[in-house]
Amino acid sequence: MGRGLAPAVPWVATAARVLLGAVFLVAGLLKIPDPAAAVRAVRAYRLLPEPLVEPVAFGLPVLEIAVGLALILGVFVRAAAAAAAVLVLVFLAGVGSAWARGLQIDCGCFGGGGEVAAGSTAYPAEVARDLGLLVLAVFLTLRPRSRLAFGGRDVPPSAPASPGRTERTEPTDAR
Amino acid sequence: MPADRRPRTAAKRAAEARRVALAQTAATRRRRGILGGIAAAVAVLTALVVVFVVQDRRTSTSDRAAVPGNTVADGAAVRVGDAGAPVVIEVYEDYLCPVCRAFEERNAATLAELVDSGAAAVEYRPVAILDRASTDRYSTRALNAAAVVADAAGPEAFVAFSGLLFAAQPEEGGPGLSDDRLVALAGQAGATGTRVADGIRDLAYEDWTRRVTDEASKAGLQGTPTIRVDGEELPLREATPEGIAAAVSAAAQG
Repeated sequence: MGRGLAPAVPWVATAARVLLGAVFLVAGLLKIPDPAAAVRAVRAYRLLPEPLVEPVAFGLPVLEIAVGLALILGVFVRAAAAAAAVLVLVFLAGVGSAWARGLQIDCGCFGGGGEVAAGSTAYPAEVARDLGLLVLAVFLTLRPRSRLAFGGRDVPPSAPASPGRTERTEPTDAR
Repeated sequence: MPADRRPRTAAKRAAEARRVALAQTAATRRRRGILGGIAAAVAVLTALVVVFVVQDRRTSTSDRAAVPGNTVADGAAVRVGDAGAPVVIEVYEDYLCPVCRAFEERNAATLAELVDSGAAAVEYRPVAILDRASTDRYSTRALNAAAVVADAAGPEAFVAFSGLLFAAQPEEGGPGLSDDRLVALAGQAGATGTRVADGIRDLAYEDWTRRVTDEASKAGLQGTPTIRVDGEELPLREATPEGIAAAVSAAAQG
């Protein structure tokens, strides 16, 4: 990244935050209305022992919503982005393993899942989307400071031209 | 900074004051950050517990859930055919599933012939997995209606009703058939009376629809239609009249 683009970084981070956060928020919200379908979607991966299926199916949307809200509001950005990265890695492992085992399932990423008609799997698209989200999450974990954030992570508009230097002199509360 | 090394000029004193103020702000912020983090963690944990309890209650089924009569396999299946038929074909379907409709259009006659000739019995194991795909939980309502029909008029009426439901299958994404329409089709299939109408409108077997769907999922059901011939899953591309006949004779010899 050239020096001339440096001031744009916080804005890029803002865009990444809102995009990643919106995806997580929507993915979480869509899993709430039909809990039975969420359970079936998790079970369809055939990875978890039965006692863990319900906790994951009911708990995952809560984590997704929490991460999504934190990213959109701009609070605890680094922690939320790191959590998002971990979650996406878990999703990638799950989808990749289903793909490798030849399971005929939908990822259930945005609700539903499991029970699609045979032959209509979309593994390449699901993996590509997760990789894109992973890039955003890793970027935000490394550069959590952005504009329009509530959580004290905002870059003051009056900050000197080079954010690279302000990061060292300003009090940072990386949390 | 040691106390004996006082800043000598006004500028230095001002710089020192700024430094102290910044350090204090940083300390305050850090403290606030830790408190905020704890508060957020508690909030997320609370939400996890509350959501788990609520969702668990929404998905749990009563042990005393009403089971429709004229069913087998602990209420999970409607069976047609001789009790001693050498081969059993299990058919898992959802009334909103378009591929199930295609399966029925193609193979309903074949299944009926196999049953009539005594070559096989058919166990229908309908499930409701596509509630999300209609605006009025059609999968559950249709499955409940089918249970009401089986209970009131027997397996043959159930099969007739299933055929009528698939023939009148609504498109995914919109509303399903109305309760009135379900009651009318039930009558056409031979199930009439106020008990039938009330059972359809009041979702008499709603808990049962959840139970059989959950059991099918636990038994490894991945999608509909799923056809099993003597427990062996028939690949969908072989779900044709010839494929089913071949699988049945193979199972009968095996």
